[in-house]
Amino acid sequence: MAEEKPDIGKLVDEAAKAIGLAIAPAYRDNVILNYQRSLAIAAPLLAVNLDDELTPAPVYRP
Amino acid sequence: MSDPISADATASEIARAVADGTVKAVAVVEAALARIAASEPTVNAFTDIVAARARKRAAEVDAGGTKGPLAGVPFAVKNLFDIAGIATRAGSKINNDNPPAARDGALIRRLEEAGAILVGGLNMGEYAYDFTGENAHYGPSRNPHDPTRMTGGSSGGSGAAVASGEVPLALGSDTNGSIRVPSALCGLFGLKPTYGRLSRAGSFPFVDAFDHLGPLARSAEDLALAFDAMQGPDPDDPVCTTRAAIPTLPLLHEGVGALRIAMAGDYFLQGAEPQALAVVEIAAHALSAATQPVILPDAAAARAAAYVITAIEGAALHLPRLKSRPQDFDPDTRERFMAGALLPGSWYVKAQRFRRRYREAVLKLFDDVDVILAPATPCSAPKLGQKMMTIDGVELAVRANLGMYTQPISFIGLPVAVAPMQHPGPMPLGVQIIAKPFNEQAVLRVAHWLQKQGIANAERGKL
Repeated sequence: MAEEKPDIGKLVDEAAKAIGLAIAPAYRDNVILNYQRSLAIAAPLLAVNLDDELTPAPVYRP
Repeated sequence: MSDPISADATASEIARAVADGTVKAVAVVEAALARIAASEPTVNAFTDIVAARARKRAAEVDAGGTKGPLAGVPFAVKNLFDIAGIATRAGSKINNDNPPAARDGALIRRLEEAGAILVGGLNMGEYAYDFTGENAHYGPSRNPHDPTRMTGGSSGGSGAAVASGEVPLALGSDTNGSIRVPSALCGLFGLKPTYGRLSRAGSFPFVDAFDHLGPLARSAEDLALAFDAMQGPDPDDPVCTTRAAIPTLPLLHEGVGALRIAMAGDYFLQGAEPQALAVVEIAAHALSAATQPVILPDAAAARAAAYVITAIEGAALHLPRLKSRPQDFDPDTRERFMAGALLPGSWYVKAQRFRRRYREAVLKLFDDVDVILAPATPCSAPKLGQKMMTIDGVELAVRANLGMYTQPISFIGLPVAVAPMQHPGPMPLGVQIIAKPFNEQAVLRVAHWLQKQGIANAERGKL
């Protein structure tokens, strides 16, 4: 079954409502554009498989 | 040796001339203030000039009150550093309404204890969420090599102030590349030290996981001089290391013969204009780098993870202001912050988990090499206002992609110097010189060697 494309506009509207962030109509299109850009840029990370045992370092040391 | 009151003088040259009595600190500071007045209409590097304070301080240096290694050297700081008596703008209109800072940031204090003289605060991209140096509130900083072009950001004023010769030394911050991108695009030496090496106390944060502070200058020696003066533990920054300082200046002239050097391959050889990659080849050839590049595994995922952590941490920091004063944000940051506030939390956790794996894999590379070379930016400075760029036939957003090669490095806190490379093109390009944590000495040695060979050179912009 083909994966359904998310409705980013709806997602932005509802998620913003959930955290009490009012997005003025003048800003909305650009917020959606940036959300879509984030989806594209995050893709290589989301494609990585991580072992369950891999936890974030609780104290980060470089 | 440059005239110590000229625009070409480096911090080291000024400090030597003040120390041996050739020139007075007062004269050096007056000359810097005059250059700032003359250049600002073109480069727009400064938002705050503290002339009275600088003159008073210079008189104290001349009276023998300070004999440090930076005595008499004028410097300026990105305006996210606290300057006593001035609101810490962090590039924003909103924070300019805050009360004035009660004291200077830790690194300003350390440089002044070493004799340097603060002359002002510098323009920057709003809240450091920027690779361009543009700012809707205060105007863009402009590249001294071509004022119609970007300085790079977010430490854009730092790049413009040093590359124009207003001051020989500036401090910036680097979360994803904000020291390295303007250093490369303005043709400067820049140092992003190891995460936690320099105190961030008294600076406005962006992304705690990646925030670093460091210097920009026109010589590698000046970076070492400033870096050594700023090292040391600081309980006011919980991330600041308790390791003892490791001075870099004494070993700067040791050469590069003992260092194992390689280029970064794969991700770091793709997606750039040919000249941006060619300057890395030039450095690698001169340094007799290994013929086989090293591969930073999953660098594209590292860049993605850095992006995700930045978007979510940055948005979380600014969410109260996004709710209360959205109209007062720079439009170029506002909607990116808003989108970041809505990204899934699971992405953030995955990015942090991935970060541990990536760090372990990259640190292993340093069993076989001491220094890794990589491009600093995918292209030279874009035009001011330019939103999109085409590289390798692919259309990319300028803001999101100028840091594509810097993000996978700061993501795990490695020390990096940028060296401005000599090349035939009209605008500067830089190379990243990367080492394992706390090996700033190696990256500065390589940068210094490249400069001494005439392969790297920080020419002043001819305004």
